[in-house]
Amino acid sequence: MLRANAITKRFGRTLALDGVDFEALPGEIHALVGENGAGKTTLMKVLSGSLAPDNGQAVLDERPLQAGSPRAALEAGIAAVHQSPMLFERMTWEENLALGGFDPGAELLDLAAVATRARALAAKLGFELPPGGITIENRSVAERVRLEVLRALSFNPRVLILDEPTSVLGPSELAAFLDLLRNLRGEGRIVVLITHKLAEAIAVADRVTVLRRGRVVARTTPAETSEEQLAGLMIGEIVIQPDAAAARSHTGAPVLQIENLALADHTGRRILDGLSFRVSAGEIAGIAGVDGNGQTELVELLAGVRKPSDGKVTSRGAMSVIPQNRDLDGLILDMRLWENLILARPLREQVTLHGWLNASRAIGLCRELIERFRIRAPGPDTLASALSGGNRQRLEVARAISSQPRVIVAHNICRGLDLVATAEVHRRILDFAAGGGAVLLISSDLDELLAICGRLLIISGGKIRETNPGDRDPQRLGLLMAGARD
Amino acid sequence: MLSSIAKPFAALALAAALISIVLAALGASPLGVFAALGEGAFGSWYACVDTIVKSTPLIFTGLAVSLAFSGALWNIGADGQLTIGAIAAGAVGTHLGDFPHSIAIATILAAGALGGAVWGGIAGWLRARRDVNEVISTIMLNFVAVQALSWVVHGPLMEPSRAYPTSSPIAPAAQLEFYFAPSRLNLGMLLAVVLAAACYMLLFNTSTGFELRAMGRNRRAATFFGIRIPALTVWAMALSGALAGLGGAVQVSAISHRLYEKLSPGWGFEAIAVALVARLNPLGIIPAALLFGALDNGSQAMQRTQGISPELVQVIQGLVILIILAFDTPAWGGLRENIFGASGDDAAAVPPVAEMPDA
Amino acid sequence: MLEAFLVSVITMATPILLAALGELLVEESGVVNIGIEGAMLAGAFGALTIAYFSGSTALGLAGAIAAGVAINAIFAVLVVNLAVNQVVTGTAVSILALGFTGVFYRKLFGVTGSAFMVAPIAKIPLGALARIPLLGPVLFDHNALVYFTFLLVPALWYVIARTRYGLRLRACGERPEAADALGLGVIATRWQALLVSGALTGLAGAFLTLAYANTFVENISAGRGFVALSVVIVGRWNSWGLAAASLLFGAAMALQFGLQALGTVVPYQLFLALPYALTLVVLAAFGGQAAAPSALGEPYRRQ
Repeated sequence: MLRANAITKRFGRTLALDGVDFEALPGEIHALVGENGAGKTTLMKVLSGSLAPDNGQAVLDERPLQAGSPRAALEAGIAAVHQSPMLFERMTWEENLALGGFDPGAELLDLAAVATRARALAAKLGFELPPGGITIENRSVAERVRLEVLRALSFNPRVLILDEPTSVLGPSELAAFLDLLRNLRGEGRIVVLITHKLAEAIAVADRVTVLRRGRVVARTTPAETSEEQLAGLMIGEIVIQPDAAAARSHTGAPVLQIENLALADHTGRRILDGLSFRVSAGEIAGIAGVDGNGQTELVELLAGVRKPSDGKVTSRGAMSVIPQNRDLDGLILDMRLWENLILARPLREQVTLHGWLNASRAIGLCRELIERFRIRAPGPDTLASALSGGNRQRLEVARAISSQPRVIVAHNICRGLDLVATAEVHRRILDFAAGGGAVLLISSDLDELLAICGRLLIISGGKIRETNPGDRDPQRLGLLMAGARD
Repeated sequence: MLSSIAKPFAALALAAALISIVLAALGASPLGVFAALGEGAFGSWYACVDTIVKSTPLIFTGLAVSLAFSGALWNIGADGQLTIGAIAAGAVGTHLGDFPHSIAIATILAAGALGGAVWGGIAGWLRARRDVNEVISTIMLNFVAVQALSWVVHGPLMEPSRAYPTSSPIAPAAQLEFYFAPSRLNLGMLLAVVLAAACYMLLFNTSTGFELRAMGRNRRAATFFGIRIPALTVWAMALSGALAGLGGAVQVSAISHRLYEKLSPGWGFEAIAVALVARLNPLGIIPAALLFGALDNGSQAMQRTQGISPELVQVIQGLVILIILAFDTPAWGGLRENIFGASGDDAAAVPPVAEMPDA
Repeated sequence: MLEAFLVSVITMATPILLAALGELLVEESGVVNIGIEGAMLAGAFGALTIAYFSGSTALGLAGAIAAGVAINAIFAVLVVNLAVNQVVTGTAVSILALGFTGVFYRKLFGVTGSAFMVAPIAKIPLGALARIPLLGPVLFDHNALVYFTFLLVPALWYVIARTRYGLRLRACGERPEAADALGLGVIATRWQALLVSGALTGLAGAFLTLAYANTFVENISAGRGFVALSVVIVGRWNSWGLAAASLLFGAAMALQFGLQALGTVVPYQLFLALPYALTLVVLAAFGGQAAAPSALGEPYRRQ
C-alpha cells in the first residue's frame, strides 16, 4: 500500500500542499484529480522522490520512503511518468531505455539485450518499438509517452504514477492507453493516474481523490459521483460558461490569409505541407490537432520567427501571437510586468519617441491593464516570476488584446489554467471577436475548440483540412486528428 | 535597493578576509598590506589623482563589459578591443600634428573607437552568423591583438631610431593635456563619466537598450517578439568594442603618448570584476572602477613596502567576482533579479516539440 | 627537419589534447569550464614547485594533479552546487589562478624572475619501434605523459559511448531534470567530471613545466586552456575529433619555431598569432554549437 501522511510543501510564499493524506492499494487504479495548480504534480514528485516535503512523509508497505531521493524511490519500487518529457532527445531509444531497469548494474552497455527485453515488454503491452538505433528527436509525442511508460515499467515497479499522460494523446490512442492501465492493474500493481480530465478518471479509476488548492477535498469512487460533481469539487464554485453563440456567424472580410504555406526541415522532411486557409473578421477559427503535427512551427511562422520554405502569410493589419510556452517564449520572468508588456512591438512603439523609451508612460499603461484585465499583482513593478500561472496568462492576453491587432493567434492558450481562468480567457476572446477582430485558436483540446470556435480545421502531419460546419462529433474529429482519411 | 548596495560591500568584506588568510600564508601582515594599499591609493593628493587616472581605463572597459553582459554577450575580449583601439589611435595620432587641438583629439578618439568597434564586431558577427561562442572568439582575438601590437611597435610604427620597441610619439595636438601638473589628471575621466551616463540612458531609456536587455534575459522570448537577434548581437558587440577601444585611445592620448607592448595590464579582465561589482549598472561602474583603480594604484606601494607582488590584485579581482556570484545565487535566497544563474522558477509545463531557430 | 617539426607537433598538441579530453568529460555532463586555463596554469605551477623542492618528478606530477583538482573544485562549488553563471565563474577562476601563481611564484622564487630549472620528465623510447626512421622518433620516443594522453583518446571514446557511466554523463548534459528524476545524480556526476578533468588539466600544465619549458614563467599556459575549449567544439565533442583538432593546433604552434628558424621575411608575430587566428577560422567554418550537449552551459538546480 502506498501512503502519503500529512504532506506539506511550500514554494516560497506558495503553499502547494497542506497536510495532504493519500492512499492507494495494490490492484487498483487511483485517480488523483484537481485543477492545474491544485498540487497534484507536487504530490507526485514527493511520492516519487523528486521533491522532499517540508513535513510528513511517503510510506510504501509501512516502510517510510527516503525523502528527496528518486533513486531510493525507484529502488523501493515506485516509478513515475512525469508531465514534462523526460527523454533524452539526442540519444537512441535503446539508450534511453538502458537508463531504466532493463539492464541493471552492468557497466558495459548491452543495448541489444535492452532492445530485446524492451520489445518483449512492448509486445505484451500491445505496441511496437521503432527499428534499432533511432534517436528520440523526431518521434511523435504519443510514441514518447509510450517509451516513458515502458522505461518506467522496466523497473518492474510496485507503484506506477502517471502525471497527465493523456493530455497529448488523441482519442484513438486514449482507448489503448486506458486498456494498458487496466492490464497493469490486473498484474496487482498500484496505478496512480493524475489527471484533470474527469471523463477519463471516471472511466478507468477504482477510486478518486480530489485535490483543491493543496488540500484533499473529497475521496470517492466513480459509482458514487459524476463528472459534474467532481468538477464542482475541483473548483469549488459555479462557473458560467461564456455564450459562444455569437461566434458561430462570421460575416467579415478575410483578415488573415494563408496561401500554400510550406516548411521543410534540414533533412527535407515536410513539417508543414501546403497549408491554405483564411480567417475573417469577427470569426473564431480553431485548428485542432494532436501536439507535434506542425502547430508550433505554424505559430512560429505567423510570429515571424521562422521563414517558410514556400507560400505566404498575409494579414490585413497587426497580428498578436500568444505562444504555447508562456514562461519560455511569452514572458521574460526576470523582468518587470511593464517591461514584459512592452515586449509587444505595437505597445513599445506607443511609449517610444524617436527611440527614447518613456518608462513612466509604460508603467502607467501597465497599471491600466492590470485593472482592466484583473491581473492579480502588486503593481507594474512586480517581477513576472512572482505571478501565478493564471495571472501570467492574463498578462499575455492583456498584452495581446491591447496591442489592438486585427488578428490574434493563440496556441494552447488555456493549457495549465483552472476553469475560472479558462472561462475568463475565453470571454476575452469572444469579446475581441465580437468587436470585429479575427481569432485563430490552435489547440489540442477539442472541448475548448468545440465550445467557442465557429469554424474548425484539423491539422495532421503538417496538412490542414476544413471540417463541415455541422460536423461536431468528437469521436469522428478525434479520428481525423489522428490522421484518418475521410 | 539596500541589499543591492549591501551585497557588493559584503562581498568585498569577505574577499578582504580571505585575502588576509592568503597573506598570512605568504608571511606578510594583512594589516600592513591593506594599509600600504590604502596609502598608495589615497595617501596624498597626487596619489588620489593617480587613482582617478588609473581608474579611467577601467571605466571604459567596465562599460564595455557591462553593456555586453546585459545582453548575455560574454565579451571577455575588452583587452583586445582596447589594444586595437590604442593601435588605431597611435597610428593616426602621429599624423595629426597640423590639426587644431580639438579636431586632433576628436580624430584620435574616433580612431580608437572605430578600431575597438571592428574588433568587437568581428566576434559579434561570428556569433550572429556562424554560431561561434563569443567567449572563445573574444579570447582568441585578445591574443591576436597582443601580437598585432607587438608587430606594429617592432615594425611599421616603430620609432625612427629603431632602438626601442615603441612607436613614435603622437603629435602634441592629439595629446590630452594634464591639469594641475605634475598630476596626470586629464579630460579622459570626464569623458568616461559622461559615457557612463550615456550608457545608462541607452540601456534603460531607449528602445534598443530594452531590446538588448530582453535578449540578455530571455533570448527565445526576444526572438518571438521580433527582436532581431543577429543584428543586435553585432551592434552590441561593436558598441562594446568601441567603448573599450575608446579607453585605449584615451590611454594613448593622455598617458602613454605612444605605443609599446603590454599596453594593457589586464584591464579587460579587471573590467569583469568592475562590471559585477557594479551589477552591470553603468552608473555603478564609476565607483566600482575607482575601487579597483585604487587597488591597482596601491599595489605598487604594497610591493615596495610589503614585498607582495602586484599579482595579488588579480587574486582580489578573482575572489571578488566569485564571491559576488556566490552571493547572488537563488540558492541563498538571493535576488531573483539575477542574470548570473538559474532563475528560481520551474520551467513551463510542456515544452514545444521542435526547437526554435535564431531567425 | 621534418622529423623535428613532427615531433614538435606532438609535443605542442599533447597538453592541449590532455586538457581538452578532460573538458570533454565536463561538457558532456553539461558544464562549460572557462577556468580550464586557470587549472592548467595551477597545474604547471604546482608541478614545478613540488618537483623543484622535492627533487622528484613523480611528486611534481602529483602536485599538478592536486592543484588542478583544487581549482576545479572551487569552480564546481559555484557552478554545480550554487548554479551560477558558468562563463563568468570560469573567467574569474582563471584570473584567480593567474594572480595566485604569480604571487606565489614571486614569493618562492624571488622577484627577479630568474628561471629555476627542473629536470625534464624522462623520455621513454619504445624499444625497436623508436628506431623506425622518421615515424620512430615522432611516435614512439616520448615521455609517459604523451603516451598517456594519446591512449586516453580511444579509452575516453569507449567510456563515453559504451559504458553506463558514459550514458549517465551524457544524460546529465542532455537534460539534467530527467537525469535527476531517474536517480542518476546530476550534481555528483558533474562533480566527478570536474574533479577528473582537474586532474587531467593539471597534468597538462605539468607537461608545460616539466617536459616542455622545464621552468615556470608567468602565464606559461598562454591561452592553451582556451584553445582546448575550441578543440572540444571543433572536434565535435568526440575524442577522435579532439585528437585531430589538437594535432592541427599543435602544428600551428610548431610552425612558429620552424619558420622563425628559417628567418623568413614574414614577421614572427604572425606565427605567434597563428594558432589563435586559426582557431577563429576553424570555428567560423565548423564551430557551430549544434553538436553540443543540449543543456551545455545552462545552470541547473534541483527543485
